[in-house]
Amino acid sequence: MHDYASPNPCTWCDGCGDYGIWTAAKRALVELKIDPSQVLLCFDVGCHGNMSDKLLGYRIHGLHGRVIPLAAGAALANSAIPVIAFGGDGASFSEGVGHLVHAVRSNYRMTFIMHNNANYGLTTGQASALTWQDQKMNTSPNGIPEATLNSMDFVFSLQPTFVARGWSGDIAQMTKILTAAIRHRGFAYVDMLQACPTYNKFATHEWLLEHCYDAASEGHDPKDFEKARALAANTNERVATGILYQTEDAPAFHERLKSREGVTTAPVEEVKIVDTAQWLKAFE
Amino acid sequence: MVPFGSAPVRGPEPSQGRGQSRQLRSPWPLLVFPFFFTEVTRLSIKIVGAQGQGVNSVGEMCAKGLKRSGYCVFGYREYMSLIKGGHSSYQLDVSIDPVHSSTMKVDLVVTFNHHGIEKNLRDLKKGGILLHQTPQWKFRNDEDKRYVEEQGIHVIEMPTEAILKKLKAKPILGNVLITSVVWALLGQEQEQLHELVREQFGHKTDLLDLNFACISEGFAVRKDIAANFSLPLPKPDPAWKNHLLLTGSQAMGLGVIHAGCRLFAGYPMTPSSPLLSFIADGQNETKMVVKQAEDEITAAQMMVGAMHMGTRAATTTSGGGFDLMTETLSFTGVAEIPAVFILAQRPGPGTGLPTWTAQGDLQLAVGSGHGEFPRLVMAASDASDSFELMPEAFNYAEEFQIPVIVLTDKQTAEALFTQSPFDQTSAKLKRGKLVRDPKALAQLSSTDRYDPAAPDGISQRWLPGSAAATYCAQGYEHASDGSFNEEPDNARQQMDKRLKKVEALKSALPEPLYTGPKNPETLIVSWGSNRGVILDVLESDQFKKRSIGYLHYQYLWPLKTESFEMLSRTAKQTVFVECNHGGQFASLLKLASGRDNTRKILKFDGRPFFYEEMRDRLLSTLQ
Repeated sequence: MHDYASPNPCTWCDGCGDYGIWTAAKRALVELKIDPSQVLLCFDVGCHGNMSDKLLGYRIHGLHGRVIPLAAGAALANSAIPVIAFGGDGASFSEGVGHLVHAVRSNYRMTFIMHNNANYGLTTGQASALTWQDQKMNTSPNGIPEATLNSMDFVFSLQPTFVARGWSGDIAQMTKILTAAIRHRGFAYVDMLQACPTYNKFATHEWLLEHCYDAASEGHDPKDFEKARALAANTNERVATGILYQTEDAPAFHERLKSREGVTTAPVEEVKIVDTAQWLKAFE
Repeated sequence: MVPFGSAPVRGPEPSQGRGQSRQLRSPWPLLVFPFFFTEVTRLSIKIVGAQGQGVNSVGEMCAKGLKRSGYCVFGYREYMSLIKGGHSSYQLDVSIDPVHSSTMKVDLVVTFNHHGIEKNLRDLKKGGILLHQTPQWKFRNDEDKRYVEEQGIHVIEMPTEAILKKLKAKPILGNVLITSVVWALLGQEQEQLHELVREQFGHKTDLLDLNFACISEGFAVRKDIAANFSLPLPKPDPAWKNHLLLTGSQAMGLGVIHAGCRLFAGYPMTPSSPLLSFIADGQNETKMVVKQAEDEITAAQMMVGAMHMGTRAATTTSGGGFDLMTETLSFTGVAEIPAVFILAQRPGPGTGLPTWTAQGDLQLAVGSGHGEFPRLVMAASDASDSFELMPEAFNYAEEFQIPVIVLTDKQTAEALFTQSPFDQTSAKLKRGKLVRDPKALAQLSSTDRYDPAAPDGISQRWLPGSAAATYCAQGYEHASDGSFNEEPDNARQQMDKRLKKVEALKSALPEPLYTGPKNPETLIVSWGSNRGVILDVLESDQFKKRSIGYLHYQYLWPLKTESFEMLSRTAKQTVFVECNHGGQFASLLKLASGRDNTRKILKFDGRPFFYEEMRDRLLSTLQ
């Protein structure tokens, strides 16, 4: 853990779920024996993005809503370096939702950790697409009129290859999820439910503690897509956590590229002036 | 972003060969260049019809055949934003001298349908030939009849349908038939056409025989019904034979490959799509990672992610798509990540004229993205530039750790150029302060990444995966290791650091290209695709005795002004030529040099400057 320690003090609110996710991310990297110089951590803009200087490792902190394509581009350039993207529910299910859709269907080799506090924390508590309907939020004094998006049902509709859910109070389970996610062959979608003591008054730490349970302890088989989808989407009474679905059968995007068959180098190793004389014949 | 305007673009397109008259960069202040003036004898052929009828096939076949016979060919395409129908054209301007522009009046119009007979009749020069295939065509209005009579237009009807029926050939073979009539009119040999179709259908004997039969019929048509007409070309110059015939997009695609780009992401939008298609079509040979992204933002972000990881990557788009990329552009500015954006201009605002040309996005390129940050804007003007500037774009991006915007336009992207084979040896790989040596990496500390004391503001850069201290490529204002820092002193230092690069970049950039006498009376200043037509006009008799110089800018921001100031100070008049409404480059140069630039030849109707038009407008400006 020391290898990833940054001298910068954390700036999250007391009781923020980001502390737990931050700790679990570092633990997972250490458990996987990944040196800080051998990883790229990509951050969206939001409270979670303030993590970008609270740990070491190569990091890139981009634009709101755009972390997935930024990370995907990096991953395509060098698949030897694990790429982990962090984003919030605000960015990922509103401004950046298109990127999420196509990343799942493309199955880029990367991990996406979705900090899910069901609101826009950093801009002082506006409703996200995942905020519960009728909740009063900043800019929604009468409660939000929109229906809440069922994010898990949505993600499962895209035929994902890895879906997990953790919650910010269970660092051990999050660590377990993340080690599997980072090792996953393609796009690993990790929904991290997190407490937001300042703005989320509905799904609090206590609520999460009460409702979350480890699906594996009840015999859930993460190979069963249909059961996983039902389990993930239905949170009316209890919230299933752990690795809900995983298949390693689907090749990652870069493995599907016919143009790269037989290529043993990564694009980062291929930068040189290329003689194009062989391609000029077509124009003679 | 919706891909507006879809062009069925395949194979060779219009272009402009620099030929032997390549301009040289002036080793300022020695800018004396000899003028070799000869009146260009040129011939123009215009093939018209509905989109999907075969206009492009005939144009391409003629262009290729003529180039191989020893002519310089410049091709220009017009088409509409639809797939089938509409009215499109493919014009070839042919000469033994270098030709880089299209004329408004042509010697031959070949029309696939009756619309072209009426619509393009007035494109013909006096004594021109109208070749059509509409049975029993009669001009319906008196004005047309009078025009044909007064101008001595020869109207030739081809019995296409009857011939194809006789040969039991499909309508598509009509293209070969038409081409062969044109070929015969141009006084060329059958064997040259045989060679072309053999290349295309050599593996299908029955189809090949049918093609040969069509060619014989085409030559027979010429003998039977057009024996008295011909379009004599001068004796060919074999020097053109080993030239390439390709579009600006194809040249730029080759330039991107040449530059060592290994990931290319884009989203379809005319006129940038042909570049994306060309690179995508070549991926199995180049092994490049090519991604058609879900939108322009994705394409730009992927490019930046890949660049940050350490490969060379680029993206391409047009006006509206570039608008979507500009937040990403700004991000690369603050995080100092090299980036290459290729912006193919078409007329805006809004969806505008999707399949036409413009130079209206220069100030967009210069001013887009929030906040202040250094950038380089450059523009390609022809196939030669499109190839040669790409390694430069990547080098500047990496050396200065800045975004680079390469402008092109529909005219450059889709014109067909006769181009000498590209030089494969001049380009150098320059990656600037990229640290790769293990010993040097071990010495680095996190604070070296954005060290405000770095000379010229260019700090060391190293890649994820390097055995070194790590840092954050930070989109927020940051301290030298990429940590958040909102202190005023730090903000000032980091802003200074980044913008210090502008002066260093400016000194590193080459002077603009100059052609002309040492102290010209008239100085013409332009950029982008206007170069071809300006050079063609200046080489004509009307201009060769005048003291005119042409200053051509490839690097548009930041601006070098020394050559311009020296030349314009002594010139009696300075004239700007641009395809936009406001004289955008003239404004930028005024901003940079303080010299007021009032004389402008502007065009903003989606069409490039044509030869006669440029000649006449220049003449009236000079008087």
